[in-house]
Amino acid sequence: MIETRTLKIINGKTCVMSPEIEQFLSGMKKTIEDVVMPNLSDRFAQEQASIVAASLGFLGLIQDKTFHYELLENQEYKRVLTDINELLSNTFSAPAAIIETTTKVTDHFDTDKVDDPTYLRPYKFIRGSNEAMKELLCEFIQQQAEMPTELRTAFEALMKPFFKSIELRERSWVKALGFDPEAEQQADIADLLYKDGLLNIGKR
Amino acid sequence: MSNYTPTLAERTQPSQQWIQQVRISYPVERAIDEVFTRKLHNRLRPVEHIMDFSTLQAPLLHFLKEETGQSNIVVENLKRLSGGASKEQFTFDLTWQAESGQRETLCLMIRMDPTESIVETHRLRECQILRAMWGEVPVPEVLWIDPLGEKLGRPALIARFLEGTVQPEQPANSEKMSGVGMYFNPALRAGLGQQFVNILAKIHAVDWRKKDLSTFDTPALNSTQANEWAIGLWERAWNEDTLSAHPIMERAVLWLKENMPVVDEPVIVHGDYRSGNFMYTPTLDINAIFDWELAYLGDYHDDLSWATLELFGGHDEAGDPLASSLMPPSDFLERYERASGNKVNTNTLAYYHIFSYYKIAVIAAATSVRVAYSRRTHLDAMMNFASGLGSVAISELNRLLDKATT
Repeated sequence: MIETRTLKIINGKTCVMSPEIEQFLSGMKKTIEDVVMPNLSDRFAQEQASIVAASLGFLGLIQDKTFHYELLENQEYKRVLTDINELLSNTFSAPAAIIETTTKVTDHFDTDKVDDPTYLRPYKFIRGSNEAMKELLCEFIQQQAEMPTELRTAFEALMKPFFKSIELRERSWVKALGFDPEAEQQADIADLLYKDGLLNIGKR
Repeated sequence: MSNYTPTLAERTQPSQQWIQQVRISYPVERAIDEVFTRKLHNRLRPVEHIMDFSTLQAPLLHFLKEETGQSNIVVENLKRLSGGASKEQFTFDLTWQAESGQRETLCLMIRMDPTESIVETHRLRECQILRAMWGEVPVPEVLWIDPLGEKLGRPALIARFLEGTVQPEQPANSEKMSGVGMYFNPALRAGLGQQFVNILAKIHAVDWRKKDLSTFDTPALNSTQANEWAIGLWERAWNEDTLSAHPIMERAVLWLKENMPVVDEPVIVHGDYRSGNFMYTPTLDINAIFDWELAYLGDYHDDLSWATLELFGGHDEAGDPLASSLMPPSDFLERYERASGNKVNTNTLAYYHIFSYYKIAVIAAATSVRVAYSRRTHLDAMMNFASGLGSVAISELNRLLDKATT
């Protein structure tokens, strides 16, 4: 079934990436569980092998969603940093250090423009941009102590729903690792990322 | 794997200037500064953790000959212990001449730093607190220590090996990591619960001024200094180790610093008091409290918070949460008040619940991932896997902060 496989075009010819990554991972997991583990006598080795098998199972679930996860984060961080810059540009009371951070944000948006077709970028570019934006947002959060009360209140109001969205996204992402006592209440990561078959960007 | 930003690059290959800047940015105890700084210097050496421990046999024999002053000793049956997320642990048999003059064989345990640990702690400090507690509460007897790893290759302490149960048999498909959410049946809960409370009350009552705790800095009475140092430790660990900045962690640490409670009279805080860190005999006597490496002088509410965290505790048969898998949290706190005479302040407890989740997030979302990234631990696969616990802790942290700020 061609639609279940990943297509690549090389020199004008259609090629198929086969087996898919999911199949590699699932094969390794089965081998560890059915062949390696039953033949291990050392308890430490057994424990480690079971964690390797569980990790392979987790990777099988999330491997096809990593690019879109980063892409969604990219859009979310651009949006919140734009909102913060707007908030700060509308106030006369922001201290100089905070203004400096807004300049860094503007500079970053020269590298990864807000309205760029970021989805065409390589994964590493997007991930790198996201890390830079996270650090900038953290700078703003640290600077809250220096904000006048009114500005700080407005900043906190802006951040609260953003914090909530991070919380929900990350908890869905790690749901299958088995640490979450509320796992059943967390959305599946696919449901959280996609709506109507498209990446859930800009929808609330 | 890439160092996507200049800050991430500094964490991986820290410059002397960056190390110095980190050291002055976070107030910590001197011993903590010593081990954290050593960790950063070690990070510059491209060393992966070596799993083969057979090379330990010869230096161990040499070390014990020096320490005992006996040349006719035998070290054999060196084996790795499973468990022990933060330190590598081994057992071995030592045959030597006891004080009585009789030749005897002891089963001993080595607790040794991996190349980089999920919690960088001070072996001499752990040795001092264990010796301070010897005779006060059940702890393993520490016999020898190599605090800097000059003899054994890495910092290590050697203690008597104790027999007992840490984790009872768990229901099918519920194997737990490091005691998180383990299950004790009602008979075990009835037998162990009150002892668990009494021992904690005893720890908090020990007069630390009469003990040799030279590696512990003493916080000022009626001040926030104990909390300043404790926050300094965890914030520094986060900023030295994380592979990714996290807005909720910044939110949390700012709140922790702005809302620090005053500690009137500091006590010995165990720092990791929960199920998984005690052992019991077949007659249901708790015969050892383990993992003292995070002990410090601070507020007893910190231990109460840790022991009542829902993330660590299991549930009873009706699905209700249990403090350290042993009893309902309210029951635990009431029993503690009776056993210790200390009053539980619910606001202070709520503060330490937030702090506790911050600590778990640092360990699971930052330091565990860092040591696996650098391939410097004996449990690389598990350390990556543990990041899931970190995300749950950060989520809980955010929920508690939302409550605290409304």
